[in-house]
Amino acid sequence: MTTRADAGSRLLRLLAVLTWLARQGRAPLSDLSERFGLEADELIADLELAACCGLPPYSPDQLMEIIVDDHEVVADLGAELGRPRRLTAAEGFALAASARAILAVPGADPEGALGRALSKLEAVLGGRGMLRVDLRDPAHLAVIRDASEEGRQLELHYYSASSDRESTRIVDPVSVRLIEGHWYLDGYCHNAQDMRRFRVDRVSSARLTGEPAGHRGGDPDMQHRDGAAPGSEAFVPGPEATIAHLAVDDDAVWIVEALASSSHGRADGRTGVTLAVASTVWFGRLLLRLGPHAEVLDPPELAEAGREAARQLLARYRGDTAS
Amino acid sequence: MVDRLERLTDLVLVLLRDQRPKSLREIASEVPGYPAQEGEARRQAFERDKRTLRDGGIEVTAVPIDGPEQVGYVIRPEDYYLPDLDLAPDEQAALNLAVAGVHLGDPSGRDALWRLGLPASAGARPVAELPALPALPALYGALRARATVSFDYRGERRRVDPALLRFHGGWWYLVGFDLDRAAPRTFRVDRMDGDVSAAAPGSAVLPEGFDPDAALPDVPWRIGEGALVTVSVHVDAALAGLVLDEVGSSALASRNDDGSVVVQLEVTNIAALRSWLFELGAHAEILGPDEVRADVVSWIEAVAGVADGPVVAS
Repeated sequence: MTTRADAGSRLLRLLAVLTWLARQGRAPLSDLSERFGLEADELIADLELAACCGLPPYSPDQLMEIIVDDHEVVADLGAELGRPRRLTAAEGFALAASARAILAVPGADPEGALGRALSKLEAVLGGRGMLRVDLRDPAHLAVIRDASEEGRQLELHYYSASSDRESTRIVDPVSVRLIEGHWYLDGYCHNAQDMRRFRVDRVSSARLTGEPAGHRGGDPDMQHRDGAAPGSEAFVPGPEATIAHLAVDDDAVWIVEALASSSHGRADGRTGVTLAVASTVWFGRLLLRLGPHAEVLDPPELAEAGREAARQLLARYRGDTAS
Repeated sequence: MVDRLERLTDLVLVLLRDQRPKSLREIASEVPGYPAQEGEARRQAFERDKRTLRDGGIEVTAVPIDGPEQVGYVIRPEDYYLPDLDLAPDEQAALNLAVAGVHLGDPSGRDALWRLGLPASAGARPVAELPALPALPALYGALRARATVSFDYRGERRRVDPALLRFHGGWWYLVGFDLDRAAPRTFRVDRMDGDVSAAAPGSAVLPEGFDPDAALPDVPWRIGEGALVTVSVHVDAALAGLVLDEVGSSALASRNDDGSVVVQLEVTNIAALRSWLFELGAHAEILGPDEVRADVVSWIEAVAGVADGPVVAS
């Protein structure tokens, strides 16, 4: 025995292997190892054990017929064992949520093959109509997704919230994904000469330049650095972020709840909140939202960001832009 | 000494293959590995195996039988086997791609495909990442079973008859009828503390005509009981697309030559509107009605530290 997994999870794994084998009849050992994430010796040990299982009186004709040689497993287990087992709660949820999410992608066909598969699944699992996924549909998503699929270069007008500036960028798209409820384009930005992440709903115009995208693969590492890529708009504090401490009234705690890296109750009844600040523009707007319900405890210079954001906005209200 | 895995495997086969409920004595004689002596040790070993099976989603059902032991055990086929989904090849392929395209943070989707006998497709590009929260499978299970759930939420135990699990704006929400408050309520699933427990199947009975959509408005400024006001907001060109995407094009009142837009929002929660508006920085301005504009201006003045500005009332 090389495996250290507990008997319960080993049983479930073995049943999954047997179900698969019952349907296949025979399979290379390497296939089974890979498919079920097992080392060859663990797999062989479990299969040899299973070969001793069966129904009383455990005479050879009542045992499961499993023959393991150096590189292949041959099994005759009967049709019954080949029937799929019920899904666990987590598996049922994962299947239904995945299908619902893909059907919610703008442009998906609800009457298509996936919609029919989901109907059949929900007919068996129950819970029809009890799971819903809403995905946003920003104006330029379709153009950007098509360009990414087809490897075409884009020219984007893009508003960056962290710098509060609009700019025109030439981008070779690499991938378009929904993360934490927002669509993001990852691509090679010719202006920055580096990989950048763009929030699709902050693109005010998108057009094809007519050039192919030169950097289709991009930085493979980018796929695993969600939000930490340079220029990212997702809220993931980088090493350069400043740590801010606030005291917030109950009335406004909901605004900072999702942003806080930690929080604690204070003697004065307010909540002490710690959060990472990567952009003073962003932090100024947060303080504006919190208004009189929050106080910056540290660092004191960050308190100025809120006053600055307020003064800018006040200038607009006091100017002549209102019609 | 018989390996416990072997005992468990034999137990499943014995309880499943022959649909006659068996007493513990019969089970011990047919499944090698239980203590030979009738008594507490054997009973405990069997109870432990039953728990292990239940934890793995295999339910052993106890039924009354004739005879001295009075209780027999069986695994019902409907508790063990998945009913045939009867998926056409294109439906199998679509389901495969969906699982490959959505990252839920754990391998459950791939495991489910294996279980259905569908090969998982490798190399498909992910399309969406949804937050994986430990409470989600339990909540989904409770919804399917129409079971009342209870959980800790902001330091309080809540009892809810669930109606809908909804991913919206980057968060998972449970929409349901709160039994203690006797009213529809919406809960952020990521704010639930600890385990969700579910009562018996069928225990949840939603009020007649319960509408989960009404319980979770699409926009934050409709989450509130305030009087309905229509507020006009001018938004600069840079953020016009972003805002229209969020409020829907039906809110568009006018589009200006410079690309800026005016939207009209139906608001019942001014605080939520203000918070949303300030995220847009100096790129958006409330045009009216006057009292809403004045309320926002006095708020900004207070934050700006303008000495002679009106005091914010709150």
